[in-house]
Amino acid sequence: MANITVFLCRCFGEIDSAIDFDLLREELSKDTSVSSLSIVDSVCLETDIKKAASQLKESKADRVLIAACSTLLRGNLPVDGLIKEGVERHKIGLVDIREGCAWIHGDDPEGAAKKAKDLINMGLAALRYREASEDMCVTVNPDALVIGTGPAGLAAATSLAKTGFKVNILERANAPGGMLRLISRCYPDNEDASDKLEPYIREVENNPLITFYPQSKIASIEGDTGNFTVQFSSQGKDNSIQSGIIIIATGAKIFFPTGLYRYGEIKNVITQMEFERQILNGSLKTKKTVFIQCVGARDRERPYCSTICCPISLKNAARIVENVPGGRAFILHRGIMTPGNTLEKYYRDTLSKGVQFIRFEEEQPPQIIGSDHVESVEVYDAVTGITRKIETDLVVLSTPLVPNNDNTRLAQMLGIEVDRYGFFSEIYPMHPLETKTDGIFICGSARWPVASDQAILQGKAAAMKAVSYLRQSTIAASTLSRVPGLKSGHACVDADACTGCGNCVAACPFKACHLEKLEGRYISTVNMMKCKACGSCVSVCPNGTIQIPEHNYRMVGEMIKRAF
Amino acid sequence: MNQPKILIFACKWCGLIGADAAGKKRISLPALFRVIPVECAALVETDAIIRALAGGVDGIAVLGCHIGGCRYNNANHTAIKRMELLKDLLDTTGIGSNRLLFSFGTAHEDYQFEEIVKNFFDELVLLPPIDPWL
Repeated sequence: MANITVFLCRCFGEIDSAIDFDLLREELSKDTSVSSLSIVDSVCLETDIKKAASQLKESKADRVLIAACSTLLRGNLPVDGLIKEGVERHKIGLVDIREGCAWIHGDDPEGAAKKAKDLINMGLAALRYREASEDMCVTVNPDALVIGTGPAGLAAATSLAKTGFKVNILERANAPGGMLRLISRCYPDNEDASDKLEPYIREVENNPLITFYPQSKIASIEGDTGNFTVQFSSQGKDNSIQSGIIIIATGAKIFFPTGLYRYGEIKNVITQMEFERQILNGSLKTKKTVFIQCVGARDRERPYCSTICCPISLKNAARIVENVPGGRAFILHRGIMTPGNTLEKYYRDTLSKGVQFIRFEEEQPPQIIGSDHVESVEVYDAVTGITRKIETDLVVLSTPLVPNNDNTRLAQMLGIEVDRYGFFSEIYPMHPLETKTDGIFICGSARWPVASDQAILQGKAAAMKAVSYLRQSTIAASTLSRVPGLKSGHACVDADACTGCGNCVAACPFKACHLEKLEGRYISTVNMMKCKACGSCVSVCPNGTIQIPEHNYRMVGEMIKRAF
Repeated sequence: MNQPKILIFACKWCGLIGADAAGKKRISLPALFRVIPVECAALVETDAIIRALAGGVDGIAVLGCHIGGCRYNNANHTAIKRMELLKDLLDTTGIGSNRLLFSFGTAHEDYQFEEIVKNFFDELVLLPPIDPWL
């Protein structure tokens, strides 16, 4: 039964100079499933797509095979054009005979011709046995949910509201601002922290599109991309909201270095946060301050750099030197991390203000000397080899930001992952603010320690990414491919044959399969919103029940049969 | 002179990009290999590989993305484990694990794809042609 139209592309001589098209024409004329063969100069530039599509619809042929270049394999104009004219996607077959044949076998015309014939036969077989996956369409809830109101969450929420979307904000504390409320000034411009927050907080209070829920505790999150239902309590009252997307901006927490550098044991050994608190309530009293970097960071337990602690010490050391008459500041470090143009200049400026930098090694940390309050710090200067004793009245420890305790619980509720330290995982490398579940975004220190400027930037970026979902009234599951173009299909279960073994449930990298009890037995069910058609389930299924229709067993077998 | 036939399952991302790159550079390669593009190397079943061997294909290559680089959340890790197990199976049954080549990450540049294909051909030329039993 002939029902395939074949287009052979010459590519203006690129292909047919290496492959004998007369031979191909002869072979294809013997194939009974080919109803017509057209040799064109260029499928992408010269073919009249409208004409080709209408010809297809008129003739008995309902499938089309295009043998051309590899660019077409990644989706391109002719394919998109045909689809727009109403040809179904699974009825378009593509074979690469340029990069895959003509251009690499130019010195072997016989081999090239045979290969092209085999590749086209494989393509015809694929087209004959290919089937179409189902698709699923959901209506998108146009509201957004932002969890957390540090600078990242505030920036995200205000961006979304200014774009015209309704935003609900959940905040654990009773006022917005996050960790920025506990700080007096931000580096590198010494901007007042409350001034920085003020325009965002004003927008939250005045914009009618924003609803702020203080003192919230999340009970459960259900649903999928485009339709999340969140049950929570706010100020003691239970509540539930629907949301099309969720932005996680829950921030991080400070690490308290109990047991390190006699913290908690001796007076006047404090953290940077306590330093800020003393500035805010006016109780800071110091003339000779020693800052120690990398306390509880860049060590065996936490081998990462928390990014913000070096600039914070530069900021606070400069304040001592500038505002305290006769004030002196020392920064004991294992490498000052100030990347980029602005921060490098910040470091040099701090140097020129008279702050002293002393480098120590991890194996020889500074020693805190004193009985009930700190009197001096003894440090082995790794650069000069001299042990120095610095008299001091205050030691400030720079500790890293660490993940919040309930990150893992929240991640489980949302169906996303946390990394080995406990911060929320992005999709590395090309989707830095997105997570495994489409429609759930992460920004700010919840994702990785950042200072307020970066947090604000990330919040705005996450908001704009969210808009690309929210502005659609419906979303088809096949569009959730994260690359330009649609997914290649969805996994499909033959319910009669499924034995409920659960292999696919375990193998799926996106947790798209689950077992449902139907008619007294367990049958695997595919959540098309999560399925990305990678095929992990297909190769672990013991009896071929789950398949990707566009790449099914029969099709692969027939392709292999005709490969040589 | 033995003319080995090679079937390559290349993942649409790293694997096929390497093959395309070799094509764009007009690198000359032996003509006796065929490429089947798959979405992810995780889609390549042992069943298909055995069927190909049984059908007279002398060598199978599976090309996927490098560790940590799979866009399907490390589905290639499972694929690598599966290929290792399949190698053991091929050795045990006497077919020989040298007929299966898998490369995860070293095929996304043109010269790497060229090296893989040419080296595989050189290895298979020394083996007797496989006896098709399908």
